Amino acid sequence: MRSRCYAIAASTSMRERAAYPGNFIGSMFTYALFVFIFSRVWAGAYAGASEIAGYTMRMAVWYFIVAEVPSFGFGRFFWTLSRDMKNGQIAYLLARPYDYVGYNFAEKYGGSLVEAGVILVEGLLVGILLVGPPPLAGGAPSLAGGAGVAAEASRALLVGLSLLLAGALNYFLQASIAMTAFWLEENEAFFWIFQKLTLVVGTLIPIEFLPTAAATLARLTPFPYLSYAPARIMVAYSPGEAWSLVAAQALWLVLAAALARIVFSFGSRRLSVNGG
Amino acid sequence: MPAIIARDLSKTFKTKVRPSGRLAALRSLVKPEYRDVRAVKGVSFEIDDGELVAFLGPNGAGKSTTIKMLMGILRPTGGSATVLGLDPAEDRVELSRYVGAVFGQKSQLWFHLPPSDSFRLLGSIYEIDDDDRRWREAELIERFGLAPYWDVPVRKLSLGERIRCELAASLLPSPVALFLDEPTIGLDVVAKREIRQLLAEAARVDDTTIFMTSHDMGDIEKVCKRAIIIHHGEVVVDESMKALKRRSLSRKYVGVRYASPVDLELPGLSPVKRTPTAASFEVDTSRHSLAEVVRALASRGDLEDITVEDEPLENVIAAIYETRSGAEAQALGLNASKGAGAARAGEAASA
Repeated sequence: MRSRCYAIAASTSMRERAAYPGNFIGSMFTYALFVFIFSRVWAGAYAGASEIAGYTMRMAVWYFIVAEVPSFGFGRFFWTLSRDMKNGQIAYLLARPYDYVGYNFAEKYGGSLVEAGVILVEGLLVGILLVGPPPLAGGAPSLAGGAGVAAEASRALLVGLSLLLAGALNYFLQASIAMTAFWLEENEAFFWIFQKLTLVVGTLIPIEFLPTAAATLARLTPFPYLSYAPARIMVAYSPGEAWSLVAAQALWLVLAAALARIVFSFGSRRLSVNGG
Repeated sequence: MPAIIARDLSKTFKTKVRPSGRLAALRSLVKPEYRDVRAVKGVSFEIDDGELVAFLGPNGAGKSTTIKMLMGILRPTGGSATVLGLDPAEDRVELSRYVGAVFGQKSQLWFHLPPSDSFRLLGSIYEIDDDDRRWREAELIERFGLAPYWDVPVRKLSLGERIRCELAASLLPSPVALFLDEPTIGLDVVAKREIRQLLAEAARVDDTTIFMTSHDMGDIEKVCKRAIIIHHGEVVVDESMKALKRRSLSRKYVGVRYASPVDLELPGLSPVKRTPTAASFEVDTSRHSLAEVVRALASRGDLEDITVEDEPLENVIAAIYETRSGAEAQALGLNASKGAGAARAGEAASA
């Protein structure tokens, strides 16, 4: 059963990542520092304004906290794939009876879930300490009692799902860029551009902060679905919008997975690993 | 049917030419120039089921490239290969079910986890059911002596212990053929000896076809029955280890030590080392009778010690490595009887 192999690859990778909790200290520290700095930036920006583009300061800080989780948790697939290709490890990885792209996804994505989970928990704690709990789901002191709990549970579920989709989409886009190494000796410039676009389009600031034309254009690209989608669901939850964001993420995920497979299919025929 | 067949197998890499000078560098951005590097130039050989073959050559000779073509990782630019009846380039995934690999400078084990975790994952990759995997693991643990470090993170193992685990891991799915690329690189003498014994045993117990590159003559002499030497991308020698060793037997090193200074003039032989009471001679047995040389030396004075040694195999192979082309290697008089690539080298030499 192939699915069993991929499940074991993911769990093995998770245990490998969890074997050294000290590995997370660097990214946890940087993440907390970024969140703190941005909370101060927003404090300055919101001085004299209660709302910007429909976001209160608390929403903007919580937006940043969630939007940064994919960057820290799922931001390094390119480097690990590139390392495998450049140091020749790919020779081992290709000589196995599995679907390389599927296996590699299970292994790399599985491992990254540990770090993403750690960062998310840290983000929740730091956010509560800095600006209090996130805005209620549905905007909702009005949703009292059971309805409020149901809305909170539904939001938590959809934020989790959206983060998982963001991670998977991140993997397939980064893998597609990394596998251009089958043709190119140097491909880091492409990843640099990808990283910067991801940051600008939905990670540092919500899409709604962009000029209308830029926001409209951004929604036609996969970038908002890498970080904007889960962050938006977190701070401005409405079931209709949340499901449409998740559906768009799923669509982009299918396209990105197909792209990665096409790149691998053509690229692996051009593999050039010279020497031992 | 042979387990491995290579026919005129070639691989040419295109590498970008890096021009010197700023203008030329800018021009190369717009119109890059490429140079062809012919890593493997039409090698041919056949390897039977269960054979233990050393695939030798100096750095850059094309050994690893050939192995990767035989495993389907690289696509040949010329010729063809058949491994276990499959075309590696077209049937890579299917072939990988029956073929194992150990790359001495790479690892298939998870660094922070014990070998047991890697074996479990490998078992699932090769779709071995849990009961069969446990049975096979128990066998390999016993045969390779892995019990003391079965549950120790790989990062805490010595290189020798890690390579044992790598080798055992590659045998977990009971491969029909095993490719080894410098499996003993960096190991100490004891660890090398152990790995060689384990390899020879694996071949004997499982009847595995072994195709191994190494720079270590000990690996080759102790494990392999046949040697294929590749140089400048061409097969220059393809013969049994016995035949290769016979080459070294045609040259002997005779050392003598006397109780007092002696005159050691021998017709047609001059010493390679000489002190007043000792000397050593390199004797080409096709030109001089070894018995006569020994008798002559024994009669020159009060003999304290005399030694007769074969020429090390390393010297024979080093002489081939030092040549500048396959044709030149062939001109050393080495017979590439089985390899078509070598036959061509021979033709080139005679031309």
